[in-house]
Amino acid sequence: MMRLALPAAALLAWAAGSAVSDVSYTSHFPPPSEIHTPVSGAAGDMFALAFGMRRLFADVWFIRLMQYYGTPELEPAEIMEMVPVPGEHHHHHGINGEGRYPEFLSRSRHVLEIDPGFTLAALYGVGSLAFNMGRTAEAQELLVYALKYSPREWKYLKVLAAIGYSKAEDPAAVAAEIAPVLKDPDCPVMLKQQAAFLNKKIGNYAAAAAIYADIAATSHDTAYVSNAERELAKLAALPAQRARK
Amino acid sequence: MKRIFSLTWAVALNAFVESVRNRFFTLFAVFAFTAIYASVLAGVMAVDQEARVLADFGLALMELTALAYALFNASSVLLKEAETKTIYLVFSRPVPRAAYLAGKISGSLLTSALMLAVMGTMHLLLLRFRGFAVPPCYAWALAGSLLKLAVITSFAFFVSLFSTSVVSTLVISGIFWTAGHFVVETRFLAERSAGAGAAALKAAVWVIPNLQLFNARDAAGAACALGPAAFFSAAAWVAGSYLAALWLISGKEF
Repeated sequence: MMRLALPAAALLAWAAGSAVSDVSYTSHFPPPSEIHTPVSGAAGDMFALAFGMRRLFADVWFIRLMQYYGTPELEPAEIMEMVPVPGEHHHHHGINGEGRYPEFLSRSRHVLEIDPGFTLAALYGVGSLAFNMGRTAEAQELLVYALKYSPREWKYLKVLAAIGYSKAEDPAAVAAEIAPVLKDPDCPVMLKQQAAFLNKKIGNYAAAAAIYADIAATSHDTAYVSNAERELAKLAALPAQRARK
Repeated sequence: MKRIFSLTWAVALNAFVESVRNRFFTLFAVFAFTAIYASVLAGVMAVDQEARVLADFGLALMELTALAYALFNASSVLLKEAETKTIYLVFSRPVPRAAYLAGKISGSLLTSALMLAVMGTMHLLLLRFRGFAVPPCYAWALAGSLLKLAVITSFAFFVSLFSTSVVSTLVISGIFWTAGHFVVETRFLAERSAGAGAAALKAAVWVIPNLQLFNARDAAGAACALGPAAFFSAAAWVAGSYLAALWLISGKEF
């Protein structure tokens, strides 16, 4: 009797576990049909799902995105061929992130497909597309996707409004809209850099200096830090009346 | 009843002490420490996301290291005790098989808990050394890993009682672990399939434990807290594996 009761009890216990799990678990992640994996990253995505390591592999995709965006689009030979013009400086990927980067949207979106809670990656992608590359439609597409899984994320809404002002060519409104986002730990340094630049552009030097000082103090990215230090030195050299504005 | 508990505790403590003395365990601790240190390199690549990368890499590595040890231990311990005839000595005394099995599983879980605690401390020290605070949901992430390990360890004990070798137990349990993280995707496929395929997928959803339920590591914000359902499901699945293993071990001649 005992020999028959044991497997029955085992099945019952197992079914109870599955039933409670089935009722209580709701996935916050995009379904497989939404994951558009680049061919070279299929194995990584398999590991991300198979071992329950979405965050880790989203980190890897984000590092790849930064490497992609940080790589000059022209070949070294092409750069060498460019005739240097005195006083003119060529940016293949300047501190403001100019460039074409055709895969930027798909790569940014893929980070969110793996981990939709990666707010910093979303803001980095949206900010780069909208404010560095001027691709506001793509930035909005990415934001809409990010909002689908984090509808209450206020930072996304602020940036969405800022994009609207950017299209209306109102830099003061853009700077005002993204100002609260800058204080958040999820704010990418690239967005801070843009905010500082906009504040400088509209003559709000005190706000620009405060943002540059924040970048210099908190960022680990040497390119941004050295640029912020340069800008702070420039702002400090401004006549006192202008700097107070 | 008190006697059963005291016997179970004695077996669990013995299994735990044996694991701690095992050189294999030490090797894993050294490996984990070295690998977590290597993660600093990955952190440097992430620039301003170093804290997040270090936290994610460390938590993932801890779980995999503890999983490797727990699976190896669960797959081999009963086989080894049968080969060395230790099990005959145990069963020649008034030790019920239920207490023996519960003790072995508990000992294995205690080892996993200790491994996670040691590696977690090393990981937090490393983060502190790099100037970062304790990542959010850290304790929940470790608790989730332990629940996952509890489910897979008890399942591996069950498999080890009918499989022919340690390797086959490892392979079956490894597949089960992987499938456990795919339950949501399996359900998604089941909803979009029809006929026998849909029925098979729906059955798989019931047979395979949903390990994503414990994956606090990947959950964002407040969603990382493990609810009572996670603890209940883990307890039910461990009990299911234990009872199935007890059924098998009861029929064995020692």
